[in-house]
Amino acid sequence: MDATERDLFAGSVRAAMESPDVDGALVDLGWRDALADDVRAAVSVVFDVQGRANAASSALDDVLLDALGIDTRAAVVLPPLASWRATSTAGVTTRALSTRSDAVVLSARDDKYVAHIVPATNLVARPISGIDPTLGLLAVELSDESRPIPREMPDSSGQQVDWDAALAAGQRALAHELVGAARTMLDLAQEHALGREQFGRPIAQFQAVRHRLAETFVYVEAADALVGEAWDEGGAESARMAKAFAGRAARTAARHCQQVLAGIGFTTEHPFHRYLARVLVLDQLLGSGRALTRELGRDVLRRRALPPLVDL
Amino acid sequence: MELAEFRACLDRWLDEHTAELAPPAEDPTLADHMAHLSQVKRLTFDAGWMRYGWPESVGGLGGSPLLRAYLGEALTLRGLVEPGIYSMAEVLVPTMLDFAPPALAAEMVPRLLRGDETWCQGFSEPGTGSNLGSLACRAVRDGDSWRVTGQKVWTSLAQFAHRCVLLTRTGTPESAHRGITAMFVDMDSPGITVRPIRAMHGAEEFCEVFFDGVVVPADRTLGQEGQGWAVAMDLLPYERSTALWHRAAFLQRRLGDLIAQAGDDSLDPDDMGEAVELLYAFRARSRATQYRLDSGDKLGAETSVDKVLVAIAEQTVFDLALDGMAVGITGGDDPASETWRREYLYSRAASIYGGTAEIQRNIIARRLLDLGAEA
Repeated sequence: MDATERDLFAGSVRAAMESPDVDGALVDLGWRDALADDVRAAVSVVFDVQGRANAASSALDDVLLDALGIDTRAAVVLPPLASWRATSTAGVTTRALSTRSDAVVLSARDDKYVAHIVPATNLVARPISGIDPTLGLLAVELSDESRPIPREMPDSSGQQVDWDAALAAGQRALAHELVGAARTMLDLAQEHALGREQFGRPIAQFQAVRHRLAETFVYVEAADALVGEAWDEGGAESARMAKAFAGRAARTAARHCQQVLAGIGFTTEHPFHRYLARVLVLDQLLGSGRALTRELGRDVLRRRALPPLVDL
Repeated sequence: MELAEFRACLDRWLDEHTAELAPPAEDPTLADHMAHLSQVKRLTFDAGWMRYGWPESVGGLGGSPLLRAYLGEALTLRGLVEPGIYSMAEVLVPTMLDFAPPALAAEMVPRLLRGDETWCQGFSEPGTGSNLGSLACRAVRDGDSWRVTGQKVWTSLAQFAHRCVLLTRTGTPESAHRGITAMFVDMDSPGITVRPIRAMHGAEEFCEVFFDGVVVPADRTLGQEGQGWAVAMDLLPYERSTALWHRAAFLQRRLGDLIAQAGDDSLDPDDMGEAVELLYAFRARSRATQYRLDSGDKLGAETSVDKVLVAIAEQTVFDLALDGMAVGITGGDDPASETWRREYLYSRAASIYGGTAEIQRNIIARRLLDLGAEA
């Protein structure tokens, strides 16, 4: 997409995120074609806008299916919260499991992943209310032997897939969504700081407030640059780093913006709380900032070498 | 020349000339480093590399500023230059191109690029740290000359410098940023006294510079009289662009060294992961800045983000070095320990020099977040 096409696409996506049926609206505007034609532009726009709008969709499933090379329009069973290792015993799904007739379950054997496509009705799922019920996540249990998917699935029933590539694709998408959410938090705090007066002046004039927002801006811009680097580099290591840093940056943004928003930001009458809840859950999907950062550090220390860098 | 070709040819050339370019081995002083830097500049200028990315009007060979970014990166990654002293041209030459009389730029800039000369930047004063607009070093017009009287401080490498890009007060003391004029001063002019300051990392890198009735020809004025603030505002984003890309290469090299040299279990995986992420995030940010420069964009307040980030990254990397090299930094007397100690201590200044972290945040708040003026 060139810049004009990208702007047009972003405008359509913004409208879709306001729709009562976000998934239907995304299909109508050509999200899946865009994903096939220009995956970077499609993913960066859709997830950035979704993050900014505090919207929820099944777009993550489409990104993962695309990276797994699976044509069936299915829900994907993701690793459980906090984990980034797909298992065939338990996991979470997006709302896609409620609307799509098939589900993809991944099983690992000898570091190789196999994808099994099963009827969605075969999975037993319960909605996760948790801190962010509006996200529509579902918890899936796969371990009960009485259920149609046994713990050990024969390889012949599925196709071998590149989970690392799918994980990287999902992490890049979630990094964009976290950056988008952090940008809205910053917008909300900035707007509040300019409008809220104390001691006869807007609180935006106080350096303590200004520096919190400046600090937030630095981390959000850095996270944005790092996810761009992840697209340029294209591999697993850079995607993990982008997701980790975006998760940490979003939590930094939440901390500073909540403090600036003060009382009103603590109420459900102000939209901030929805963004706080959202970034806390997004941080846990496909690996948290904390856990992925530690894993990165362990890998670097074990290899005694830095990860590859993108050239100038 | 395109970047890919430049990179390949330069890398080959550097491989072939490693011995001539190698830094002084045993316990070098700052003067040794300066002499070596001149040699590296001379060799790279004569071979053409140093001339790429600068316009032909000042002795360059044209091409993208990305070529300059890569040259500094390649020299730094191979340990052939110290980025702080190497990158001075990135800070001062763009300003000369924008504000110096063309004949002056054409005469002087090649001397800096070729390593014949060292230049310094006379901005800060004892009473003028973060508040640059309050500077007091006085220049009075006297016929075809300025007469400069006053003091500068934190002037890097002034004791080695042949020229100084100097900010002076030509308006009334109350004229603030409107009454400032920039000029290009010969450091051997009568009336200039330089006193190096020994900093806590052991080097005399910064100086006090005293001006006592120093005569500066009026044709050495950079820009117009009273335009000094514009000169400074033009210069500062350059201080936060290509020079910082070179700094990232330095941090990358030293973090790699740390990983290779640190004792088992001396480095915490969380801290290591955080340092790597910050360094890569900074590099990604600075890379985008290099491409904006390449596309001809005018750099501005957004480079304050780069500056805040590089300071965080540098201090995080060297906090980690203090863990991994604790015994060497605190008690080692071998050259490697000396280097880690010097660099650790220098990293403490990363959030102070070139505009403090607080000033950068003020700029971000005012200019990028539109929060209006401060109370």
